[in-house]
Amino acid sequence: MTLLKHELKRNMKSLLIWALSIGILCGGCLLLYNTLEDSIAEMADAYSAMGAFSTALGMDKMNIGTMEGFYATEIGLMFALGGAMFAAMTGAAMISKEEEGHTSEFINTLPWGRGYIAGWKYGALVVLLLLFQVICLLFIVIGFAGAGEWPPVKEFVLYHGAQLLMQLEIGSVCFLISALSKRRQIGGALGFAMLLYVLDLLCRVLPDLENLKYVTPYYFSNAADIFTSGEIHMGMAFISLGVTVVSVAVAVTVYEKRDLVA
Amino acid sequence: MSSNAIEIKQLTKSYGKHRGVEEVSLNVAEGDIFGFLGPNGAGKSTTIRSMLGMLRFEQGEIILLGMDSRKQQKEILKYTGYMPSEAAFYPGMRARDVIRFAAEAREVECSEEANRLCELLEVDGAKKVEELSLGNRKKVSIVCAMQHCPRLLILDEPTSGLDPLMQEAFFKLLLEYNSRGTTVFLSSHVLSEVQRYCKNAAIIRQGRIIRTDTVENLSKSNLRRVKLWEDGQEQEFTYTGSMKELIGQLAGRNIEDLLIQEPTLDELFMHYYEKEGD
Repeated sequence: MTLLKHELKRNMKSLLIWALSIGILCGGCLLLYNTLEDSIAEMADAYSAMGAFSTALGMDKMNIGTMEGFYATEIGLMFALGGAMFAAMTGAAMISKEEEGHTSEFINTLPWGRGYIAGWKYGALVVLLLLFQVICLLFIVIGFAGAGEWPPVKEFVLYHGAQLLMQLEIGSVCFLISALSKRRQIGGALGFAMLLYVLDLLCRVLPDLENLKYVTPYYFSNAADIFTSGEIHMGMAFISLGVTVVSVAVAVTVYEKRDLVA
Repeated sequence: MSSNAIEIKQLTKSYGKHRGVEEVSLNVAEGDIFGFLGPNGAGKSTTIRSMLGMLRFEQGEIILLGMDSRKQQKEILKYTGYMPSEAAFYPGMRARDVIRFAAEAREVECSEEANRLCELLEVDGAKKVEELSLGNRKKVSIVCAMQHCPRLLILDEPTSGLDPLMQEAFFKLLLEYNSRGTTVFLSSHVLSEVQRYCKNAAIIRQGRIIRTDTVENLSKSNLRRVKLWEDGQEQEFTYTGSMKELIGQLAGRNIEDLLIQEPTLDELFMHYYEKEGD
């Protein structure tokens, strides 16, 4: 518990910066929806004629001119990218920051053991991602309340559950990268989060690359898909869960076995 | 039950193709203050970091406080205090928070001892670690290593960065802990501090232990660095032998000044190294 509290304190500033930025951005856009309704309706007409681009952003399924459609396409995209980047950055720094900051000799000579350290650090990552969701949701709910319209509850809950699962997967893969490296791989982690998004765009636009939907967690957690179908693709969600579990298990195993630099 | 606090048997650790340490073996008795002497890159830190579980060694065995370092690392660390050569902490944390964090990790209430140590070493607990000089960070590190009154203290170059007064205070503390039963393993490249405070010592060079003995016996090398000024000329040489013979050899010469010093660590290493090769 001491280590969990320590990690939460160390990451609080970054959490607040990211969660407040994404939360205020999402909530603010929702608050502005009524004011911009006419312009958004014009945008919706323009987007609907953009073929593959509309498909990639889910605008072939939902109308951006409605509050629900606006949330599922525009806000959903901002939230997904922001959340993925936060998860990637936090996961990638969690273990390797000790060696980069020369604190690994301090923390690893406390009577904890490496498995314990890695376990609580991962626990801190999970708590941070949950807090990120809660803070963002707070602003999103305020945005909906201010706009005077509410999304369907079931789809809304499913979407945010899927987003949490996606953030956990990306965070866990980056946690594994962190366990393997002696330096914080922030650039690589952000690149990884973006690459998965590009794969999502590609598999939606190019039929030959359709199978990439099993690789990228953006696919099963896509807001437009969840809001239109009212469900999550469980097969893909289980793949995501499997990648998460395997990443954490490998990260702990590798961290327990490798040499640590001072 | 072992009466040795440290038993290292045939420890071998390499970094790929690079040498770390080879077949290092040494024993440190409980209650000893043991000096571990060697120049930079000799393998002192590799040995220490293998003892503490930071490095996974390929051969050998390390028993600390009667426990196997591979199997009972957590238990060993409960009773061990470690002071690394470079004291680095988390930026943004205050010195007192670092000390409290280390105590909480050990699940021991030792605030009274921590306060006493902070007072003795003049640690400003309110300062953030990034505002502290190397010497002051070292002092925080000393408190973290000692506050829980460990059975074994492992110190890697502890005095680098400490001013002479603080060095004195530090060694006073070390002797106090030792008198209460703490075994001290002191890694250093400062010969004089090992000579002054340690009972036994080992010399490591190029990853191998050259010699392990009492400090008294190690110092009996009779090796001295002699500097003299004769007829306006300065001469310097190392001398091994009795002082009586040296004075006899110098008698009658026109010596203006004479300085007889203890050898540098390198000279002592070379002395033992050459002897090893004989």
